[in-house]
Amino acid sequence: MKKWMCMNCGWIYEQEVGDPEGGIAPGTAWEDIPDDWKCPDCGSLKSEFDMVEI
Amino acid sequence: MTVMPRLEDLEDKSFDPFLVEKLSTGDCPDPYPRIHELRAQGPVVDGSYRKQFTDVPDVQMGHLPQVMVLGYDAVMKVLTQPDIFRNKEAFENNLGRSFGNTITVMDAPIHTRFRKIFQKAFLPQVVAQWGESVVDPVVNRLMSTFIDRGEADLIEEFTHHYPFQVIYAQVELEPSQAPIFHKLAIAQILSSIGAPQGPEASAKLGTFFGGLLVEKRRNPGTDLISHLATVEVDGERLPDDVLISFLRQLMNAGGDTTYRGTSVLLTGLLTHPEQLAAVAADRNLIPQAIDEALRWEGPVTSTFRYAAQDTEIEGMPIRKGTYINTVLASANRDPRKFENPDEFDIFRSRSTRHIAFASGPHLCIGQHLARVEMTRALNAILDRLPNLRLDPDKPAPAIKGHLLRVPEHLWVKFDR
Repeated sequence: MKKWMCMNCGWIYEQEVGDPEGGIAPGTAWEDIPDDWKCPDCGSLKSEFDMVEI
Repeated sequence: MTVMPRLEDLEDKSFDPFLVEKLSTGDCPDPYPRIHELRAQGPVVDGSYRKQFTDVPDVQMGHLPQVMVLGYDAVMKVLTQPDIFRNKEAFENNLGRSFGNTITVMDAPIHTRFRKIFQKAFLPQVVAQWGESVVDPVVNRLMSTFIDRGEADLIEEFTHHYPFQVIYAQVELEPSQAPIFHKLAIAQILSSIGAPQGPEASAKLGTFFGGLLVEKRRNPGTDLISHLATVEVDGERLPDDVLISFLRQLMNAGGDTTYRGTSVLLTGLLTHPEQLAAVAADRNLIPQAIDEALRWEGPVTSTFRYAAQDTEIEGMPIRKGTYINTVLASANRDPRKFENPDEFDIFRSRSTRHIAFASGPHLCIGQHLARVEMTRALNAILDRLPNLRLDPDKPAPAIKGHLLRVPEHLWVKFDR
């Protein structure tokens, strides 16, 4: 399964969960997350995420 | 074939770092009433966290201006503003002396560069592979020493050893060297109380790891050390001093905290038998049991940052040059975020993330490995120790310590 993962800390974005505390509603597609959103665990920018096979 | 360097023991062979460490971290049975009192005073309180609980002097930090930051939102503000609240000055005189030029003692931009290289070796998909190949054999070997007895001290006979043995396996340490390795790993942090064995242990571990890197570069394998010794990012290899410092820290950050975290997890479950039964029946509950244990009794209650400029937290001024006791435990038991925060409840709402692994750019690099280890350990215990329960003839487990928390014993019985 392919997922978007923060390469600075390993946090994985789950589309069905979203990031409600960070203003991202459950169900939000990765492409629709704004570029200034940050990893909720380590604060890295969206650009620090890579698509990885889990 | 890898020719392993030899580790040299401390000159004073009678020195017991485990006993000294226990004395220095104290035996405070429950720091949380005091933590709640402090948090009620406001988000910023003058003084050091350590001084609330012990008169043992802090030779490295005691003379410096300090405040405590308390409560979830305030602690998060410190951890997630690394340009204001820095690591370098906060740790260069304590962890920096014990471990050397580790990434904990760095700030951006150099921290960002090295962190990414190290994290690559500890991403979830990487450490998941170690579960079967490295963690399970260690867990099974340790359990085989007591499984036929029907009773055990799960601290002395299991949790105090398994995360360290996972690291020994990664380092391919000869079994006969393990006791010296463990001893030096604990002794190196005693620089914080001025023990001469601290720098001696740091130097001896450094010599060992330096030799190991030379050997792994000459004859690389698929192990963690070979990977770190040879990995290049943008054509750059990790400098030896940074790598050796990281390996020194790995023993404490990866061994000691996982030992404490697993001990607390087992204590939480065994003292709440209905929750233990629920997890035994449904292993999908293991991740939330781990998170609840880490929230409830996180192994590290407070960490440091340094105010690099005049600033404020929730309207409370903090002067440039102040050392910030960032009280993680006050965040994880903040009643504004966690209902009945002193209760161990694996079924509680998970809408707020705990910060036992901290937050921000210095978030624990090994958290995914810790989760793999704790999951494998708990699964093995539930699989192989049926009807697991506290030993009614022995004292109940008591989690102790104001800074680093763990019970000394966890006596259990189980069916054979």
